Amino acid sequence: MGFFIGTDVGGTFTDLWVSASDGQTQVFKSPTTADVLSGVIDAMQLAADAWQLEFNAFCAQIERFGHGTTVGLNALLTGNAAKTAVLTTRGFADTLEIGRLRRQTAGMNETEYTDAYLRNRFAPLVGRALVVEIDERIDVNGRIITPLDEPQARAALRALAAQGVEALAICTLWSTLNPQHEQRLRELALEEMPGVFVSLSHDISPAVGEYARMSTTAANAALGPLAGRYLQRLESQLRNAGMQVPVLMMTCSGGVLPTAVLTDRPAYALFSGPAGGVMGTLAIGEQIGLRNLLTTDIGGTSFDVGVIADGKPIMRSEIALAGADIRVHSIDVDSIGAGGGSIAAVEFGELKVGPRSAGANPGPACYGRGGLLPTATDADLVLGVLDADYFIGGRMRLDRDAAARAIEDYVARPLGMGLIEAAWGIREVLDSRMADLLRRMTVERGYDPRDFALFANGGAGPSHAWVLAAELGLDRFIVPAAATAVSAFGTGNSDLGFTTESPAYVRVRPGALPSEAQLERVSGALATAVRDVQRNLELAAARGRLEIERSVSIRFRGQTHHLDVPLHGDRFDAAAFRAATERFERDYEQLFGRGAAFSRAGYELLSVRAAGTGALPPPAQATRGEPPRAAGSRQVVFRDPAAPVQTAIWRAVFPAAGSVIDGPAVIEFPGQSVVVPPGARASADEFGNLHVDLRGAQ
Amino acid sequence: MSSPTTPAPAVRPGLADGLTPASAPVHGQATAPVPGRPPAGAAALNPVTFEVIRNRLVAIAEEMRIALQSVSGSPTVTEASDFFTGLFRPDGSVVSMGFQVSFQAPVSGTVIRHINGSPIHTVRDGDMFIGNDPFIGALHQNDVQMLGPIFAGDRIVAWAGVQAHQTDVGGMDFASWCPKAKNVFQEGIRIPCVKLIDRGELREDVLEMITTASRLPDALGLDIRAFIATINVARERVGDLVQRYGPDLLEQVMLRMMDSSEARVRARLRELPDGVYRGVDFLEHDGHTNALYKIAVEITKRGDALTLDFSGSSPQAPGFVNATRAGLMGGACGGLLTTLAWDIQWNEGVLRTATVVAPDGLICTAQFPAPVGSATVETIWVVSNATMLALNRMLASSPRYRHRAQTISDGCMATFNLGGINQFGEPFGLHLMDPLAAGSGAWATKDGVDAGGPITSPVPGVADVERNEQVSPLFYLYRRLASDTGGAGKYRGGLSAEVALTLGGIERAEALIMTHGAEVPNTMGLGGGWPGSTVVQRMARNAMVDGREQPHPAWERFGPKPGLMEMTARDIFWVTWQGGGGWGDPLQRDPQQVAADLRRGIITAHVASVIYGVITRDGELSVRETERLRQSLLKQRVGEFTTDPARFLTAHPFASLSECLFVARDARGLHVVSSAGCILASGHSRWREGAVAKVWEKLPPEYNIRLHEHLALTTWYCPASGVLLSVDVHRRGERAPDDLIVDLAELERLANGQPPI
Repeated sequence: MGFFIGTDVGGTFTDLWVSASDGQTQVFKSPTTADVLSGVIDAMQLAADAWQLEFNAFCAQIERFGHGTTVGLNALLTGNAAKTAVLTTRGFADTLEIGRLRRQTAGMNETEYTDAYLRNRFAPLVGRALVVEIDERIDVNGRIITPLDEPQARAALRALAAQGVEALAICTLWSTLNPQHEQRLRELALEEMPGVFVSLSHDISPAVGEYARMSTTAANAALGPLAGRYLQRLESQLRNAGMQVPVLMMTCSGGVLPTAVLTDRPAYALFSGPAGGVMGTLAIGEQIGLRNLLTTDIGGTSFDVGVIADGKPIMRSEIALAGADIRVHSIDVDSIGAGGGSIAAVEFGELKVGPRSAGANPGPACYGRGGLLPTATDADLVLGVLDADYFIGGRMRLDRDAAARAIEDYVARPLGMGLIEAAWGIREVLDSRMADLLRRMTVERGYDPRDFALFANGGAGPSHAWVLAAELGLDRFIVPAAATAVSAFGTGNSDLGFTTESPAYVRVRPGALPSEAQLERVSGALATAVRDVQRNLELAAARGRLEIERSVSIRFRGQTHHLDVPLHGDRFDAAAFRAATERFERDYEQLFGRGAAFSRAGYELLSVRAAGTGALPPPAQATRGEPPRAAGSRQVVFRDPAAPVQTAIWRAVFPAAGSVIDGPAVIEFPGQSVVVPPGARASADEFGNLHVDLRGAQ
Repeated sequence: MSSPTTPAPAVRPGLADGLTPASAPVHGQATAPVPGRPPAGAAALNPVTFEVIRNRLVAIAEEMRIALQSVSGSPTVTEASDFFTGLFRPDGSVVSMGFQVSFQAPVSGTVIRHINGSPIHTVRDGDMFIGNDPFIGALHQNDVQMLGPIFAGDRIVAWAGVQAHQTDVGGMDFASWCPKAKNVFQEGIRIPCVKLIDRGELREDVLEMITTASRLPDALGLDIRAFIATINVARERVGDLVQRYGPDLLEQVMLRMMDSSEARVRARLRELPDGVYRGVDFLEHDGHTNALYKIAVEITKRGDALTLDFSGSSPQAPGFVNATRAGLMGGACGGLLTTLAWDIQWNEGVLRTATVVAPDGLICTAQFPAPVGSATVETIWVVSNATMLALNRMLASSPRYRHRAQTISDGCMATFNLGGINQFGEPFGLHLMDPLAAGSGAWATKDGVDAGGPITSPVPGVADVERNEQVSPLFYLYRRLASDTGGAGKYRGGLSAEVALTLGGIERAEALIMTHGAEVPNTMGLGGGWPGSTVVQRMARNAMVDGREQPHPAWERFGPKPGLMEMTARDIFWVTWQGGGGWGDPLQRDPQQVAADLRRGIITAHVASVIYGVITRDGELSVRETERLRQSLLKQRVGEFTTDPARFLTAHPFASLSECLFVARDARGLHVVSSAGCILASGHSRWREGAVAKVWEKLPPEYNIRLHEHLALTTWYCPASGVLLSVDVHRRGERAPDDLIVDLAELERLANGQPPI
């Protein structure tokens, strides 16, 4: 027997997905523990038990171990990271303090921006006292203007060592064009502060723009000692238990990397949970032959959306974390405060749902944990979508009366509505906010949402999906077999991946071509990026063919926003430039409308990027499911609150291929309820994914 | 902001602003809805449908912002958010807007009303209009805007509006800010309101005429394309809504959105004490002479309505610092939205709660053909400062909202413009956005944000030094926080940042250097807090050799508006902006906080001891020495402490007016008392008559505040304790007006939970 394993440590649960070579696929959940590691071991123990194996015997048969964790993110958010200092160019020590003025508004949501009282939620990643200016300066052309003052740097390093600094982020101006000073500072640091963890900005985040580069480097340094210790413990514990394969960590860009590559750059794995979710969806799409996917996840407090177009996740070059701009190539997952715990309230005769959330504690009124305010989950219970006796597979009983009372008191009566009407209203407001986010993620990028398949993940995703699909004009949605643990599934199903960039600034006048020297500069940057990717993937022991995608960032001269367009080949010559700008204008007009492109402005090339992947053998995909079983019927509201529909209830854990259920139906899984509206039809494919066809829906 | 539809004594007929459409009374002021119930007349609209469509309309304004920011080439747009996107009703009222410069909210509506009332304009489906005339509807000529009607069949259901600051629209001097201009004709092209797109067809000839007027035609051309893309986004999205819900329902939702915001602001106003609240601010130098101009607002709050009376402001100036009435409305609006509607959707409904009174011919209602080129950073900015100052005095006197009363943030936007041929051999114009990184004002409960910038711009930003050096011929020596710039107080104003830079990659360029607030402290404190630092602009000629700063450069300190000058790659320009205002007496600041500030290096030891009365030894607070020093400083302020028992009151105060001003009653009646229980005023709120005043014409250097030759500053102390009660800035030889006049008896009724009379 061989096991493919994906694990994802979330805030509440540690999820584990297992695919065994006997064709069984299962998901396990265990509470996340404070030390993170024992939660992972607990979940693995559950799996070993399920296959009736000793823990060590189970470990010995693991063929792939994917892992994602928010441990780094939490450390940053709670200030539990290593004591970190920053070295930077004289004159720029306040870069993190000033934070481009953006730090102060970081973390504010769309209803908070207008309230200046809420600004400045996050302190700088590294405070003023631990930022040291070094005498040195390199200019925009990479020329050394002020040579590095080594004696001064040594004195500063010694002072930091005396303060017990454990990690050092070195970020000097224009190090991306000339890394000499950063490299020399590292040598000095290792001499003066033996054992210190050092991150260099041109290595961790080789992009022009000192604030994001310094933030990223500081976050990376702050996490380094901690992440290194955690990964080392995880790796050695599993190895001691007999696991033969390396731990593969999910990174922000969706590829996995062995811990050996990541210990120097933990920032690359900061945002692994959402990335795992999108990669899981991508893997399922590949199984069933779909390349345009909208991945949605509705949990208790937030609604997350990722977009996969033509088989590739939409990426972003920066993410905002703990108030800082982190420049790491990442899968773009946008989110709003809308989920099962979103609180409904009436003010001035208006119904608001979210972004305030009841969270897990006290949680929705129906949890009976002291929550009195009505939430979306309460509405779902009143509408018949949820079964009070079969929530999380019956592990928790819900109090329908409490839900009804909350909605009655706080929504129905103030609005002069009936209970059911009010509950449906909560759903409508919430669902329309979610649909807005889906539109923002597609229409604004020039995509027609109708070209996409909607994937419904998370506890509440499958019960809202039919409305979201209808809002966007889609004729079906898909509930993946691993819908409640799709991030874990993603970590077990992703290829090796490493992405980096290299700056190459070239300014081209209208109608002109870049000079030979300029073209050479771009080719050189490309070679640097490709080399970096190759080196790291080789370090990751990628076998077989490496695929490297190259792209260049272009904008019209004078703009600040750019687009990435693909490059083919390693040489950037005049023909490659022409092809790239043509593609740029095409993409640009797709985004901003015909006629928006303004080639009279000329172009700026900013940087090149190389994204490498190394294929890993795919998990066994045959599955053995069971046909869903009928579990009676109840009244469920579909659109018309005045006319609830008698609806068949089905229960399933892993639906067998070919199972078909016609709506109206609710198919209850242990962690979620799939709502199939009247006229729609749900059918299971050979991998246990449920496809809900809405074409016949009324 | 509404025209005076109900009789209001403060309004002089014909002088009041008339920017609001005639339809305003329909959603009138008299029938303010009761909280928790839908406003009257909205019965037909289902609250769920309303919320769904409202969210959509708010989202569309944001989608417009994203489109504009993605396509625009203006750093003012892409970095500083100096732009506007919004949806309007056919009558010009703003329904929803993005999170941008709040000054712009009412402006495009004025142009819509201009089109509606103009015999020469026909509006057809697919049209887009362009305009930038401050005497019709623009803050100044740089603010080019476009408007497009959105049709459902043959009916206009909405307008989409977009505006962005353009670096150059012609005129005498590059960047169109012309210090020597004597009239608006010298300040660049004025486009009243012209159809640029006629039923979907771009009029290339008109576009060429407009871009030809600019020194940077390509940048302007790129932005106009961004405008078109933005309006197209709005048309598509609103069109989808019309298709799904029909024009009637959409109209109902828009009307209700404004009613809803209005009802919320009015409900908030009813919780605040009735009274008169004053805000005064100044600006210096009109481009020709270093004259001093005053912007004074008197805000009268009765029940759930406000009147903002600017009649006490200076007459219009001979130079480019003026604002037209459109600018006055913008500045007032910036103050209202941020100070009263922080959690309420920004739209016309908020503005309907206020009536603006201002006769023609003031610096804030300049008459044609007055020059107004720098209105946004001069008069409009100061109008918003004064408005926020007065409104925050109102919040400070309310038990419910006192905690969020804020002093003034970032009182000016100092200008550093650069023009010439850049390092790529192209003509360029640069408008440095770094001055946004001034300090934010302290709150009644916490310090201001260092380099927090203005609050009238909800999401401000500045570009990275590297990005500026990459695309512009600049070389920075530093960008850092400037110590001792935050206004001193119990809660400290945020520090300003400062930059020093020279040219990079080119030998010479033409610079425009100007500001107000070099000799006027605009970031006023409250409750005894000090204003933040004033702006310092300096230049060291020939101080760079081989790209490095020479030791001891000779700094020439400029006045407020040195204007146009040549700058070379050997010169260093160094500028420090205004720190945020402080809140409360600095001697009441937690000494541990002062010690922490000292350790962080954001104040100096001299300031810690002289202003904050704090002594530290080896970075640690010396408690006893600090206590002694603070006692002696308090005594120094007033000489001897009053001990006359008749001046003291032991009754527990029932309300507070400010940090150390309270209201209490005893057998003699109602009094304003200090925190020491010393009676300052009896029977009325004009407490200054019982306080000890000290007038300053020049301040000690540690304050970093320079005063204009016609300005003075008065500090007011409690005679019994020496506590600092207020810091006022006023013309020399005059006294600052009483800044709040409230009925003490009504405060008592409010405190007792009784309804106002």
